[in-house]
Amino acid sequence: MPKLIKLDGEGSENQTARWAEEEFVFVPDEEPVPATGDVVVTVGRLLGEGDALLTSGRRIGVRVQPHEQVETLAYDLPQLAVVELVFAKFRDGRPYSTASVLRGRLEYRGEVRAIGDVLREQALHMVRCGFDAFVPADGSTPEEWMAAAHRYRHVYQRAADDRQPIFAERDMIASGLGHNRPDEVEA
Amino acid sequence: MKVLTANNLEDGEAVFWKGGQWAVRFHDGERFAGDEDAAPALAAAEAQPTVVVAPYLIDVEEIDGHWTPTAFRERLRALGPTNHPQHGKQADGDADVEALRAATFVARSAGRVKLIKR
Amino acid sequence: MYRYDDFDRQMLADRTSEFRLQTARRLAGEITEDQFKPLRLMNGLYLQMHAYMLRIAIPYGTLRTDQLRRLAQVARAYDKGYGHFTTRTNLQLHWIKLRDAPDAIESLAEVGLHAIQTSGNCIRNVTADPYAGATADEIDDPRVWAEAIRQWSTVHPEFSYLPRKFKIAVTAAEKDRAAIRAYDIGLHLRRTRDGELTFEVMVGGGQGRTPYLAKTIREHLPAQRLLSYMNAILRVYNRESRRDNIHKQRIKILVNTLGVEEFTRRVEAEFAATDGTGIDLPDTELASIRARFHVHAFETLPATSAAFEAAKAVDPEFARFTRHNVHPHKVQGHAIVNVSLKVPGETPGDATSEQMELVADLADRYSKGEARVHYTQNLVLPHVKLDDVPAVYAALAKAGLATANIDLITDIIACPGLDYCTLANARAIPVAQSIARRFADMDRAEQIGELPIRISGCINACGHHHLGAIGILGVDKKGEEYYQLSLGGSGDEKAALAQILGPAMPPGQIPDAIDAMVQTYMAIRQDGERFLDTVRRAGLQPFKEAVYAEAH
Repeated sequence: MPKLIKLDGEGSENQTARWAEEEFVFVPDEEPVPATGDVVVTVGRLLGEGDALLTSGRRIGVRVQPHEQVETLAYDLPQLAVVELVFAKFRDGRPYSTASVLRGRLEYRGEVRAIGDVLREQALHMVRCGFDAFVPADGSTPEEWMAAAHRYRHVYQRAADDRQPIFAERDMIASGLGHNRPDEVEA
Repeated sequence: MKVLTANNLEDGEAVFWKGGQWAVRFHDGERFAGDEDAAPALAAAEAQPTVVVAPYLIDVEEIDGHWTPTAFRERLRALGPTNHPQHGKQADGDADVEALRAATFVARSAGRVKLIKR
Repeated sequence: MYRYDDFDRQMLADRTSEFRLQTARRLAGEITEDQFKPLRLMNGLYLQMHAYMLRIAIPYGTLRTDQLRRLAQVARAYDKGYGHFTTRTNLQLHWIKLRDAPDAIESLAEVGLHAIQTSGNCIRNVTADPYAGATADEIDDPRVWAEAIRQWSTVHPEFSYLPRKFKIAVTAAEKDRAAIRAYDIGLHLRRTRDGELTFEVMVGGGQGRTPYLAKTIREHLPAQRLLSYMNAILRVYNRESRRDNIHKQRIKILVNTLGVEEFTRRVEAEFAATDGTGIDLPDTELASIRARFHVHAFETLPATSAAFEAAKAVDPEFARFTRHNVHPHKVQGHAIVNVSLKVPGETPGDATSEQMELVADLADRYSKGEARVHYTQNLVLPHVKLDDVPAVYAALAKAGLATANIDLITDIIACPGLDYCTLANARAIPVAQSIARRFADMDRAEQIGELPIRISGCINACGHHHLGAIGILGVDKKGEEYYQLSLGGSGDEKAALAQILGPAMPPGQIPDAIDAMVQTYMAIRQDGERFLDTVRRAGLQPFKEAVYAEAH
């Protein structure tokens, strides 16, 4: 059974991870959508039957393949409960950009879920690009996932998460505002 | 004939299958009659991911009583870099190594080419 | 000299811990080789012919002396006491063990060195003009911008699993000493009439199977918007490149498939749609980076040095050294001294630990504690007083580092080739050695003049064979090493790709072929023409005839 990990907590400093129940059913294109129950459908199906699905009184999610452009979903995004991004192969990094665009200019605030070849060694990248739910393919637990996502005390650049980049931390210290001073001890 | 080779996971050295162990000298490697005879050893090697990386079979031939890999690339792997004769396996300088160095080698490299990934 | 602060040091410490953990997971079998490979590549570790190779980053080719000494030490402790400087101004160690790699990386981190992203499908070491900060012809120090890019691209969560590797080069002088048109992104920093800093942004250069020179997609990008513009380029690339054929996944393919107009349109659309305020560095940070490229004040000296002139007058070999290895410095009375790693008959670009330590000592005494790596696989002492050049020369000469051949026919670039690299089809080092031995006579080399020879052992072109006045590509022809010659390439501001001369030849014929071409050049050259100029004027035909008439 696939195991779902979800992140809770506002802000990267308060983030925790836990096991979560799978509440959605993925419905492949060849099958009819069940009458009730929360479902995840393909992009093609959403674009074709979206109006009916989104007014059927339940939560709808969409599963996006690596080559699919989420901009086509812009109109429906505010009503989508979850966007699943497929990692066809962990080395295929397209979902990182897709998630970044979802969280960035498309301002999507629902759940962004990583499925497919989802491995602990990429937890940091996924979390920073705005994923907040994961179905690991390597048996990782929520604790292992969080540990992997927090290996670095600092980050150099801004991403979809809210971690302050080093240049902002430097700026705060220079202005006398920083309270998280870096260690004086040589690393 | 075939020899089964791989690189050690821990130190990257080129090694050669010898009855379930891995030898560092090419000449200590076990010789198989062909792909079929080597298949069980190859399968066993592939089941040792914490010992070796990317096992594969190479062609070998006998020249003047000495065994040598057929492919030029495999000859270099069995010997070492030509710009530093004191580095690599060739530093042993024994008769087998000398013969390997002197041997002529003509056939196209096989097997390894399809394993090369970027 | 750029100094890391505590944040940079903590990044390296955390990276080291992560890599140690990842290596332990691999050794314990918790992750497969397939899962581990991109991780170890992003820490500079290749599995090669005889051992692992560690590629240590030398950001924009600049080294403090404590760093250079640590490279020497690590080469001794974990390798065979030498290293190879590459065409991306990194240092390669060819005999590393995986189980030692975390310790080696930890040792490097203590002096602010690392191997982060020197391989893998991510943004690689950013290279810059090797004379940055020392040359009069630059309008700003390009390394400030290279460092800004380095930080932004380090462990970038969106751009760590790109379709392919990504290389960026920066220059701030009209003379391009960083070959910026040969890379995925080439950046040329200029100053407008109002004094504003802008970048010309070029995209889609790259050598390899299908070589291209980068095309300009933006003539004038305000420098302050650099990172958000690069973000746009990288995002378009990451999203839209194909992922089904590893040989067609560099950005140069995307640019040429879409056409430069359409590619530019997509980048500009992404740039316009992205809020740059989170990505671009505030002026305070740029100023802070700039301040950390601290250079001591230079002495006020006369333009000519009596000691320098006197040494030239009495020692013809020193005079020759000054003709080729000594370049003008932006500050009067000073010079940029090139340290040749191209002794004819030796391995191009290699230096022993002792040689590295000697260069570090000289850098401390005579070059404000700083050394550089040139992409031609040589080293540079950037800030030497003319008065001190004779002493520097004498010390270099004792250590075999004073060959007076910069840009001459024996200043050959050669990749490690099949002697070390599993990607190669043929060896490159012995070819370089045989050519250099043939032209070892310094007088003859000087008469020939500038003649860059570039040798690659495979189509990946790490030896830059597309950019050589003479380029040589090793191929495998029925199991034998054969070499294809090409002519007329260059990596400077008039960049051009070399053209194939004729059928490939076995290695034994190469020195004669080069000799035949050199003689042809000497016979038909006009005033002041370099070999490259004569090729461009006269075309390939005279050289083709000279080479192939011999053979047939």
